[in-house]
Amino acid sequence: MTGILERPGQTRTEGDGPVISMIDVGMTYPNGKMALIDLNVSIPSGDFVFLVGPSGAGKSTFIRLLIREQLATAGRVIVAGRDLARMRRSQVPALRRRIGIVFQDFRLLPAKTVFENVAFALEVTGTSRTEIRRRVPQLLSLVGLHEHDDHLPTQLSGGEQQRAAIARALVHDPSMLIADEPTGNLDPVTSWEIIQLLIQINAMGTTVLMATHNQEIVNAMRRRVLALEQGTLVRDESGAAYEREY
Amino acid sequence: MPFVRFVAFAVVRAWQGFWRNAMMSLAATATVVLMLVLLSGLFIVIAGLDSGLAFIESKVGVTARLRDGLTDAELQPLLSDVKQLPGVAGVGYVSPELAMERLRKVYREQGQELNLGGASITLQASIEVALTDPKMGTSVSNALAGRYEVSQITTKQVDYNKLLGIIGVIRTVGIAALVLVGLTVLFMIVNMIRIAVYSRSGEIEIMRLVGASDSFIRWPFILEGILCGLIGSVITIVLVAVVWEPIQPIMVSVFEMPTAVSSRFLAVLSAVVLGVGLSVGALGSWISVRSNLSSAT
Repeated sequence: MTGILERPGQTRTEGDGPVISMIDVGMTYPNGKMALIDLNVSIPSGDFVFLVGPSGAGKSTFIRLLIREQLATAGRVIVAGRDLARMRRSQVPALRRRIGIVFQDFRLLPAKTVFENVAFALEVTGTSRTEIRRRVPQLLSLVGLHEHDDHLPTQLSGGEQQRAAIARALVHDPSMLIADEPTGNLDPVTSWEIIQLLIQINAMGTTVLMATHNQEIVNAMRRRVLALEQGTLVRDESGAAYEREY
Repeated sequence: MPFVRFVAFAVVRAWQGFWRNAMMSLAATATVVLMLVLLSGLFIVIAGLDSGLAFIESKVGVTARLRDGLTDAELQPLLSDVKQLPGVAGVGYVSPELAMERLRKVYREQGQELNLGGASITLQASIEVALTDPKMGTSVSNALAGRYEVSQITTKQVDYNKLLGIIGVIRTVGIAALVLVGLTVLFMIVNMIRIAVYSRSGEIEIMRLVGASDSFIRWPFILEGILCGLIGSVITIVLVAVVWEPIQPIMVSVFEMPTAVSSRFLAVLSAVVLGVGLSVGALGSWISVRSNLSSAT
């Protein structure tokens, strides 16, 4: 296993194609609700993309399609060169090891220490203890939690918990990190610390897709913005702000 | 090595899971023990009754007391005719002298001496018919009943039929009870695993998101059910081993069953208990995992 810490400053390459391609994607739930309509998105490897939109716009569905928690009812979703609709069930775990994901509510296991939370993600994928002992401290150093490895999540601040969640998301050295409202539960200063960490991870070559409502961050970053409204992609602009500027 | 790591992971997680919901796990284990004790009891009783049946089968025959004063010219055709009857393995003639000798022997075996007080008694002569099949006793009795030479017929056919009926009832009732208790055990294990799945839903979600395979997610739960069956089996085997010595004399006196008291019988019973316990545990957890984890993975 190659580690994310072993090649700082390098840009990851996933071949010539984009890391994410959505072609004419639609998603209609059994109750008839259309969550996504005719979506066409291409995200190249190494990009940093914001996914914005009001609640109910389809951001969560967008993310669920990428990690194959749901299958699109129309069109094709291609991640790292693989058409997810054609992927066998047994191949899904391998896909998910290539995608790290963090959430607004951190989702750390409360009875496990920081070290154990990160190690758990390796343990459940059959990683050897030697590799776990080597890799976890590296990841905790990367996110600045190496001195808190024996702390329980309840003994950490919100920002530290999110750092632990990010470390866990990076255990399999994923080519893409999806962050679903990662700063939603954090104060502004801590939010910026998390953003700095994501920028650092992106600089190492990992594609970052961040769903957010935080206008200040989106406006300040001036990265690519995908804006969803009622399931439709209403905007796809590079170097954009949260709201369209005229 | 990856397989060894997988097995180690699944076993450790199953063990932790079993004790994490200790009350539910122990309740399920108790029902497994109840079912297996019932199974063992039924196994022992039916084996005993089968052994008793075999004992009676060997004794089932037809005895026909003969009229007094029967001549040899009358006796020989009777013996010849009986030998020809279907289901007859052999015929023996018991003279009055031989009958008296047998009676004296019975007394001697009881430590007494037959005392007739000086009187002279002549016992009835009889013929003893051995059967090829105990079920033929009735037809042979009917054939003898119509003969002039015969005064009275006795047979153990009734005892045999009675025992056969008892075994049938016990077997039916026992199996019905076992099925009911077995279903209860399945229900308990299914619920135990369901609760375990819900109590660890957070972990399961994390496992899915970080790319754990179905095997890593499911097998700890299946092993948890198997563990429940294993512990229940071991407790039952220990219980049977503990009561085995005290019940042996009862088994012998009630059933006259030399086969049931053999150590081989105990080994077979232990294997059956272990097999049933593990199977029920695996089946219950498999059903639960299929219904509660299918959408989660």
